[in-house]
Amino acid sequence: MKWAGYAWALGATLGCTLLGLVTAPHADLVNLALVYLLAVVGIALRFSRGPVVAASVLGVAAFDYFFVLPSGTFHVEDPQYLLTFVMMLAVGLTVSWLTETARARAKAQADLAIQAETERIRNALLSSISHDLRTPLAVISGASSSLAEGGERLAASERAALAQSIFRESQEMSELIAKVLQMTRLESGALALERDWCSINEIAAAVVRRLKPRLADHLMMVDLPGELPLLRVDGALIEQALANLLENAARHTPARTLVRLRAQVEGGEMVVSVEDFGPGLPEGDLERLFDKFRHGRRGGVGLGLAICRAIIALHGGRIWAERLPGVGTAFRFSLPLEKPPEMPAEALAQ
Amino acid sequence: MNATILVVEDEPDIRQFLRSSLGAEGYRVVESPNGRRGTLDAGMHKPDLAIVDLGLPDFDGVEVIRRIREWSPMPILVLSARIQEHSKIQALDAGADDYVTKPFGVGELLARVRAALRHNTRTANGGALQLGTATIDFEKRLASKDGNEVHLTPIEFRLLACLAKHIGMVVTHRQLLSEVWGPTHAADTHYLRVYMKQLREKLETDPAQPKYLLTETGVGYRLVD
Repeated sequence: MKWAGYAWALGATLGCTLLGLVTAPHADLVNLALVYLLAVVGIALRFSRGPVVAASVLGVAAFDYFFVLPSGTFHVEDPQYLLTFVMMLAVGLTVSWLTETARARAKAQADLAIQAETERIRNALLSSISHDLRTPLAVISGASSSLAEGGERLAASERAALAQSIFRESQEMSELIAKVLQMTRLESGALALERDWCSINEIAAAVVRRLKPRLADHLMMVDLPGELPLLRVDGALIEQALANLLENAARHTPARTLVRLRAQVEGGEMVVSVEDFGPGLPEGDLERLFDKFRHGRRGGVGLGLAICRAIIALHGGRIWAERLPGVGTAFRFSLPLEKPPEMPAEALAQ
Repeated sequence: MNATILVVEDEPDIRQFLRSSLGAEGYRVVESPNGRRGTLDAGMHKPDLAIVDLGLPDFDGVEVIRRIREWSPMPILVLSARIQEHSKIQALDAGADDYVTKPFGVGELLARVRAALRHNTRTANGGALQLGTATIDFEKRLASKDGNEVHLTPIEFRLLACLAKHIGMVVTHRQLLSEVWGPTHAADTHYLRVYMKQLREKLETDPAQPKYLLTETGVGYRLVD
């Protein structure tokens, strides 16, 4: 790359000289000088100062040697051409300086834009996190100070309730911190997928079992065919994506709402859905739901769906939201199916 | 005699919380603030169970497990932060028996401790296993559910026996595959998916929502009774 500029400078000078030799009988020398100058400007637009200086010097030398009388020598008969040489050099350097400044300014502007965007995201993250940490922290410090300073004056049931709320809120906090860390890891690209053959039925059963306390107020329905193909995925991450979708459904719909987990094969993909029969989504762009820090109406740091999108994208799948006809919302993701693995003989015999 | 539990953990606050909650259950607690001391204390106090934090200041908790495993089969519980998903599996494959993810409730921890200690005191247990309405007799190689005989293939028996040996505790994919199919199949997780499905269909009341043959996604399986 470093030498490409010089090669272009040499090439451009040679080209101009050839053009000059062909047209010399008809063209005015001044016009020829302008052709060399055009080459210098061209080099200046693409390359840094070194090649521009080279193009200028080579241009002046070639112009002098081939065209300025007596041609075939570097001797100059008419001193006014010395001025032409100086002008060619000066124009070349000026153009080079101008384009370089413009380039630097454009780069600085782009950097500034990236910086501003990073800053914006950082601020959103900070305000979002500090907001979401403040509430549980207030509960924790209040409840724990009641216990620490006057615990013996409280009834046993009150002490238990305070301890319970400390436990609950600290769980909430660590959940949040885990999400932030996960998002950071997913975005930094530091996360390598641990793919192996997984059963969506098993993952669904595990996630429903794990989230049982949090889904207790809702009517949970798992609707999976028994004979779904295995997926070659990072099971822990897919479980997390599914957990985020279920929690999201539970958080944004009233108690007793039906939440249905489904999966089916469509084309060459497995489509997994979490459908709720709640009040549905407000007007707006469904794609934006997956952006970071989209606070829902009801709590949540707004990272759950962004994490889902990142996880599914890593697996080469798609994720989207749909308004269900009538009432309710569906979040669906697709995962590509791979050629099923070789099965042990005994299993096939059954 | 009360069981002695070795706690290898660098955070004093977590040590204190473990000391008081384990002490309240009647366990004797020995504390080590780092891996070096932990390895020494394991030899000196001969505890019935070790609880090892994976993020130790001097050396990796996995290393502590390896050193203890060189001479002792004592049950080892691992404390891991959620971000250490991978080292958790490493620890289990290095010989840890189970894990608890930080932050954890004391109920979860005590359940794991009890399962691990129970495993330690149990010797082959007559070879019978009761899972709800299903009974499995490993010696006679007989299984039944609701009083009706259930046919289990030799591999299904082996898989179930391997899980039953660690009842209440997690068994990694790698462990199960190497023990049942041999080390060359240690990465063939699809074998497990197929056989666990069959076992659940034969033994669970609701195979879609199993109560006994539980999945630990990304880690392995856990048999509970």
